[in-house]
Amino acid sequence: MVQRGLKGGQLRLLTRKEARDIHLASLEVLEDVGMHSPSEKILGVFEKAGAEIDRKNRRVRIPQHLVEESLRKAPKEIVFCGRNSKHDILLEDGRIYFGLGGTPVPYIRDVETGEIRRPTEKDMAEATRVGDALPNIKFIMSIAGAFDVPYQAEYLHEFEVLFNNTEKPILYSCPGTYAAQKVLEMASTIVGGRDELKKKPILTLYSETVTPLAFSTTNENIIDFAKAGVPFTNGPMPMLGGTAPMTLSGAGVVSNSENLATLTLSQLVNPHTPVIYTCWATAMDPVTSRCSYGAPEFALGTSVLNATMAHYYGLPSYGFGGCSDSKLPDAQAGAEVMMNSIMAGLCGVNLIHDCGYLAGGSIGSIEMAVICNEIIGMVSRIVKGIEVNDETLAVDVIRAVGPEGHFMSQKHTLKHLETELFFPKLFDRTSEVTWAKAGKKDLRDVAKEKAKKILKEHFPEPLPKDVERRIAQIVKEAEAELLKA
Amino acid sequence: MSRESIYEELANSVLSFDSDKVVQTSKKALEAKLNPIEIIENGLAKGLKIVGKKFEDGELFLMHLVAAAEAVKKALSEVLEPELDKSKAERKTLGKVVIGTVAGDIHDIGKNIVAAMLFAAGFEIHDLGKDVPVEEFVNKTKEVKANIVAASALLSTTLPAQHEIVKALVAQGMRDKVKIMVGGAPVTEEWTREIGGDGYAENAVEAVKVAKKLLKIQD
Repeated sequence: MVQRGLKGGQLRLLTRKEARDIHLASLEVLEDVGMHSPSEKILGVFEKAGAEIDRKNRRVRIPQHLVEESLRKAPKEIVFCGRNSKHDILLEDGRIYFGLGGTPVPYIRDVETGEIRRPTEKDMAEATRVGDALPNIKFIMSIAGAFDVPYQAEYLHEFEVLFNNTEKPILYSCPGTYAAQKVLEMASTIVGGRDELKKKPILTLYSETVTPLAFSTTNENIIDFAKAGVPFTNGPMPMLGGTAPMTLSGAGVVSNSENLATLTLSQLVNPHTPVIYTCWATAMDPVTSRCSYGAPEFALGTSVLNATMAHYYGLPSYGFGGCSDSKLPDAQAGAEVMMNSIMAGLCGVNLIHDCGYLAGGSIGSIEMAVICNEIIGMVSRIVKGIEVNDETLAVDVIRAVGPEGHFMSQKHTLKHLETELFFPKLFDRTSEVTWAKAGKKDLRDVAKEKAKKILKEHFPEPLPKDVERRIAQIVKEAEAELLKA
Repeated sequence: MSRESIYEELANSVLSFDSDKVVQTSKKALEAKLNPIEIIENGLAKGLKIVGKKFEDGELFLMHLVAAAEAVKKALSEVLEPELDKSKAERKTLGKVVIGTVAGDIHDIGKNIVAAMLFAAGFEIHDLGKDVPVEEFVNKTKEVKANIVAASALLSTTLPAQHEIVKALVAQGMRDKVKIMVGGAPVTEEWTREIGGDGYAENAVEAVKVAKKLLKIQD
């Protein structure tokens, strides 16, 4: 049965009129400025639909009617599937789901030693298994890249690791048309064919346009996924004052323009292709030039702008939660992750990713992912909010107990206890005495113990042997082909 | 209905946290000619012990402890104690405990849980209630020849009353005849040592262990 996630979206900092202003500004940008495209294939799709193509400058200017028609065609509701259907999640207005990691991370914080080092296929498999085990993680990306395989075939190896180590829905990248074709072949092998894959999309493509306002040839993968009828999302990250105007709304216009361009591309290729919308504006740290994942503007840009525009279009959305600029799971990481997660939750972003991402996406941490699982529990409780009705107002109970009494043994208390309260699994609420007796543990140590326990105990249901072999074969053959080329 | 299944029903009624049900089941057990001591020992106390264990394991919470304790207390006072008085039967006990919330303090929920858990473990409980003056602790201890005096305080301003009880017992020459346990949110091991008390615990389940240890009772 499909999971129907908790509904966020209570926090609306922008009005519908402001959303419309961003929309209109984006239409103007797409029609007048347009998108650059080195890809002839992408230009060809727009040309066929009647868009104005400037071949000399490789620029496509997209008329607003094409964008508006495409917005109408994109589905408003998507079921994102796991290879085990108990993990299927319904993406629609405001329902929130948190996900492990993002795209390949260049470093991992070793769970055993704390050393920051290059990750391997084995690290990725372990991280994926932890994500598969954590109950508040509903979809899987990665907190470790496979850096010990030939880079030409990295994404294929990574998809193989993902398919083998989780039963939950997978959102990941495979740049370019060749990788996209191979990944679609792998996924079809698992579900039993292309038609089945369309009905049961066990993956969503993550593509990325080049901000500001440029396609790259890697975005041709959107055409492949559109043809296959499998969902995709496009996630450019315009940075204030760098690759976008210095203002959040200006960056929002850039981001929205690129996303409307990819959405239009997909609907022109194959009407009703499922699109998971994004509108992200991020802060470039003006000292280091790094994109800051813990900046308050990051939360405004990736949650408020994102959810506002997704809600305006009625499209499912994808954003950020469990990420931080800190290099280790410390107080900074806790604060930044809570800020991002609670904003995404209250704004009602559907897919909230990056749990376990440190150093602005440079370091993955399994302990941090375990801590994120706890933070998600707290955020979910806040998003659930306060119920007000006769039963919860409890006047009869107050009358029965009266002044100077207590409510501990009331039937009403026991009835509501476990649904009204969040019960921490990781965070410590014991007294200083009990805490000291238990060894004065830091949260990081507790998370590490939990991570190691999961790694020892949790193994997802493996793929059927023949499917596993077939997928390994696809990767092996593709790798040989890629290395020859 | 067999004796065993009635005991089980009694224990289960405690785990329903419904005082009416516990009262009813206790009445039914008496009607089935079960002896009140066995009803307590093999039924209600057993149920309370299960609740305590589940609390310790994190499956149940404080509210369950309180609800179970109150339900058993109600069944005792309304149904079982009158029968015990009639039959003059006495429960074998691990020891006698005089317990109360100290003078100036009306917070008795924690004290009630401790009393219930000690009762479930097999101690004879003399509950003095709340806002209990020092003399009353001392007099009752003398009267029943208590093995343990347990004094609860929730406020840092009523905490000194625990010290007064210790001093009074010393002054009366009773200090070596009785163990003193103190409890309540502001109480620590340091405080217990400082005032010359014998035992302190973080929660009611721990308190039973401490009480047994003080009286050198094997688990």
